[in-house]
Amino acid sequence: MQRSTTLESLPTGRSAQREVVERARQSLGTIILGKDEQISLAIACLLARGHLLIEDLPGLGKTMLAQSLARVLGLSFRRIQFTSDLLPADIVGVSVFRQESGEFEFQPGPVFSQLILADEVNRATPKAQSALLEAMEEQQVSVDGNTRKLPTPFFVVATQNPGDQIGTFPLPESQLDRFLMRVEIGYPDAESERELIAGEDRRSMLREIEAVTGPDMLIALQEAVREVPVKDALISYVQALVLHTRESADIDIGLSPRGAQALVAAARAYAYVENHSGVYPDDVQAVFAAVAGHRLKPAGSTRFRSPAELCQHVLDSVAIP
Amino acid sequence: MTRPRGTDGSLLSSLPWTLSALIVAMAPHIPFIPIWITVIFVSCVVWRYVIERRRGVLPSPWLRGALALGCFLGVLATYSSISGVGPGSALLAVMAALKLLETRKRRDQFVLLFLSIFLVMSSLLREQFLWSLPYLVVSMLIIMSAWLRMSAGESQTARQSFMTGGRLMLYAAPLAIVMWVFFPRLSTPFWAVPIDTSRATSGLSDTMSPGDISELSMSDEVAFRVSFDGDVPAARDRYWRGLVLTRFNGRTWSGREPSISRSSREQIQALGERVDYEITLEPTRQQWVFALDMPYAWSLPRTFMGPQQQLARTTPIDQRIAYEVTSYTDFRVETDLSSLYRNWYSELPAGSNPRTVELAREMRAAAGSDQAFVNAVLQKLHEEEYYYTLEPPPLGRNPVDRFLFDTRRGFCEHYASAFSVMMRSVNIPTRIVLGYHGGELNPMGGHLIVRQSDAHAWTEIWLEGIGWHRVDPTAAVAPERIEMSASDAAFDGIGEAWGFAAPSRLLHQMTLTWDALNAKWNDWILGYGPETQNSFLKWLGMEDPTWRKMMLTLVGLVVGLIMLISVLLMIRYRPPAKDEAAILYQRFVKKVGLEPETGETAQVFALRVRDSGQVQPEKVDTITDAYLDARYGSGGEAAFARLKEAVSAMR
Repeated sequence: MQRSTTLESLPTGRSAQREVVERARQSLGTIILGKDEQISLAIACLLARGHLLIEDLPGLGKTMLAQSLARVLGLSFRRIQFTSDLLPADIVGVSVFRQESGEFEFQPGPVFSQLILADEVNRATPKAQSALLEAMEEQQVSVDGNTRKLPTPFFVVATQNPGDQIGTFPLPESQLDRFLMRVEIGYPDAESERELIAGEDRRSMLREIEAVTGPDMLIALQEAVREVPVKDALISYVQALVLHTRESADIDIGLSPRGAQALVAAARAYAYVENHSGVYPDDVQAVFAAVAGHRLKPAGSTRFRSPAELCQHVLDSVAIP
Repeated sequence: MTRPRGTDGSLLSSLPWTLSALIVAMAPHIPFIPIWITVIFVSCVVWRYVIERRRGVLPSPWLRGALALGCFLGVLATYSSISGVGPGSALLAVMAALKLLETRKRRDQFVLLFLSIFLVMSSLLREQFLWSLPYLVVSMLIIMSAWLRMSAGESQTARQSFMTGGRLMLYAAPLAIVMWVFFPRLSTPFWAVPIDTSRATSGLSDTMSPGDISELSMSDEVAFRVSFDGDVPAARDRYWRGLVLTRFNGRTWSGREPSISRSSREQIQALGERVDYEITLEPTRQQWVFALDMPYAWSLPRTFMGPQQQLARTTPIDQRIAYEVTSYTDFRVETDLSSLYRNWYSELPAGSNPRTVELAREMRAAAGSDQAFVNAVLQKLHEEEYYYTLEPPPLGRNPVDRFLFDTRRGFCEHYASAFSVMMRSVNIPTRIVLGYHGGELNPMGGHLIVRQSDAHAWTEIWLEGIGWHRVDPTAAVAPERIEMSASDAAFDGIGEAWGFAAPSRLLHQMTLTWDALNAKWNDWILGYGPETQNSFLKWLGMEDPTWRKMMLTLVGLVVGLIMLISVLLMIRYRPPAKDEAAILYQRFVKKVGLEPETGETAQVFALRVRDSGQVQPEKVDTITDAYLDARYGSGGEAAFARLKEAVSAMR
C-alpha cells in the first residue's frame, strides 16, 4: 500500500481540503470531456464511502473514468475483467502451498487495492459477482477461514453493459443496492466529441496526469463530509421524496429507509463537492437519479422510458417544503 | 507509541487568542514571582507561536520532561517550598507556559484556558485591590473570547466573539452576586491560605530607640481610615493611641507584651462629649489596636485594654478589620497612683545621660513646682534652638545628652524621649505613648485617612490631683507638625518648590478620590465578613440568618435565577428556523411576481428570475445564497440577517 503523504503534513484547514476536491475535479475534467456532472457524482460517491456502478454502452469512457479517478486521487488501482469463467479466487486471492517452507502462503487477489475497477461485472457468473459484492459490503474477505482486512479507502467502480445483451448475468436488485450510485455516462456533446476525436490520445494523457492527493487526505475528506449539516427542512424534503416513491402509481417498489439514508449520505458528499454550507435541496436533486434510479422498481405499465426520466418526474412532482 | 509532534498551522487563527488570555492571566503575578519565571513564560509563548507559524515540530517529550523537572526544582530552590501562594502561583505560571509546548490540539487549548482562569484566581489570593474587579472582568472577557474563537472558526468575527463573551458574563453576573451575598461566611475559613510572608510588617515597633520612626515617616501607606458618626475632632485632639512604653535602659524605650488589665478601663473618668467612630485598620501583623485617645468602648472581639490603657487583640491583625469605638477626648486617668508605681514610672538607669539629669534637677529647683517645671522644660524646647527634622544626625551613647546639648535636631521620638528622661530625673512619673497623630480629612468619603507618615510619639506625665496628663513636647518645637498633618506639609512643600501649586493640587484631589473609592470598596466588598453578612441579611428581612437558611436561600435563588435567565433567553431567542427564513423567502418570491414550479429549487428559480430581468441579478444571488445558507446551511443568524436585510431592501 503506497502512502503518498504522511499524516504530519496533511492540510487540515477547510479551505485546503476544498482545494483538493476542486483540483481533482479539474484534473478529471481535462480527460473526460463534457461530463462534469458525472465527475462530481463519482467524487461525491467516493467521499460518501459508497461504491459506484457505471452503466452504459461500450466505448463511452467508463474505464477511463475509473482509471483517472484512481490516478488523480493517488489510490492503488487494480482492474478485474469479469468474464463468464471468472472464479471467486481470481478476485480475492488464493493460498498456495510453498514447497520450501512447507506452509500455505496467501497470495492476495486484485481485490486488495484501494480502487478496483470491476469491468463488465454482469459478464461473470453470480458466484463470482457475489464474491466481489461481499467484499464491498464487509470491507474484508474470508479465505480459508482467515479474515483479511481490505485497504482503506476501499472503493469499487463496477461497469455494466445494459442487460439486453447476450450472455450476461444482470445484477439482481438486492445486489444493486450495494452500490451507492449508478451513473450513466451517455454520449458526449458535439463539441467535446470533436475534441476527443481530434485531440491527444486519452491513454497517454492518463499516464501523464498527476495525483492531486492521497489516501490519507481522502480519509480526511470522508470525515469532513460527515460534518456537513443536514437541517430539519431538508429532512422533510427527503421524507416527502421517499414517501412519493412509495405512493406513486408509476413505481412498484419505492425507496427503502436504507435508500433514504443513502440519498442523504450522497447529497452530503455532493454538497461538500459543491462547497455548500449545508445540504441544499439542489444537492438532493443532483444525486437523486444516481442514488434512486437503480433502487426503484417502475410499475409494469410505466410511461417512462428510463429510470432517469422516472426520477426526474418524481422530483418534479414533490414540492420542496 | 509516540504522539505526533508536527504542527500544521491549523491553530494559527485561535492560538494568538489563547496566548493573550494566558498573558493577561499572568500579568498580575509578574511583580511577585521571580523574574526567571516571567522570562520562561514569555519565551515559551514566543516559541510556541513561532512553531505554529513555521509549521514546525514541537519539542520532544524528553526535552519537555527535562524542562518541567528543571522548572519544578527551580521553584523549589527559589522558595524552598512548593506550598503557599507564592510558590503555588509561580509553579502554576511556569507549568502553564510549559503546557504550551505540547499544545497540538484543541483539547490542549482548553486545558490552557482553564489554567488561565486558575492563574487569574490565584492572583486574588495574594491581594485584592479596587482594580481587581475591572481586571477580573477584562481578563475573563478575554479568556471567554479566546474560548469562543477556538470553536467559532472562520464564520465569526472577533467582535462577535467579544459580544458573545460579554453576554455570557452578563448572564453569570446575577448568579455571582447572589452567591457572594448568600454564601455563608465563616469567621474561621475552611481553607487556610498561607499568608505571603515575604511582605514586611508595617506599623510601629514595640520598642523605641531614636531613628525607628523616621522610616515610617516617609511612607505614604494608609495605616487606617476613620469615619466619624458626628463631627470630626479638632486636629490638636487627634491623638491615636497605640502602645505605651514604660521602661528605659538609657537608650531604648520598651513596653510590655500586651496583657489584660481589668481595672485600667475603670480608671478612666470621662468628662466631655463622647466621640463615636469606626476605624478600618490595614493589616499590621501586630496586636495593637488603635483608637482615639482615650478609648472607652470598642466593638472588636477578643480585644482588651492593657494596664496603660492601650488596646490590643489577642491575635495579630493580619487582615483588614473594621471596628467601632467610643472615645472621650476630655478625660482623667488614674488620679490615684500608688507610690510603688510612682517610683516604677520614674525609674532611670543609673549613670546614663548625666547631663540631662543634672539639668533637670537644676531646672526643677528653679521652678519651684512640678507644673512650673513642665512649663519651663517646654519653654526651653520652644525658645532655644531645637529643630524639627526627619533626618536627624546619629546619636551615640547617652543619646538624650547628645540630642539635648549637641545635635539639637530630631523629631517626635527624640523630643518625647528627652522630655521623659527630664521628667523622670525629678521623679515625675512619665510614660511614652506611640501611635498616630492627625490624619487627613478626605472630603470625598468624609473620612479621615491616617497614614504611616502620621506615626507619632508623645508623653504622658502623672501629676498629683490631675492623673495622667498628655504632654506633647514636639508641639513645643514644631507646632505646625501638630496643627497640620505631615503629608500636608510635605505636599505643599513640593508644590511650592516646583513653582506650581495647581497641578499638584489636582493630583492631590485625584489621590483623595481614589482613596475614597478604595475606602468604600474595603467597606462594602472586601469587608463583607460574617458580621457584615449577618447584619446585611437581617436588613434584608431574614430573621436569625443561620448557615442552613443561607444555604437554602442560596440554592433557591441560584435555581430560580438560572430558570429566570433560561426563560428570558427562550423568550428572546428567535431561531432563524425553517419558518422565518422560508417566510422571508416567500416575501421575495411574492415581490418577484413569478411562481416557483413544484420541485423547483431556489437555485433553479433564481436562474429563472435572473432571466426575467425584473430584479438585479446580484440581488437574486444574494437572497438565494442567504436563504439556502440560513435554512439549509450553517449560516445561522448571520445568514438570516443577510437575508432579512436583502429582502427588506427590495422595493
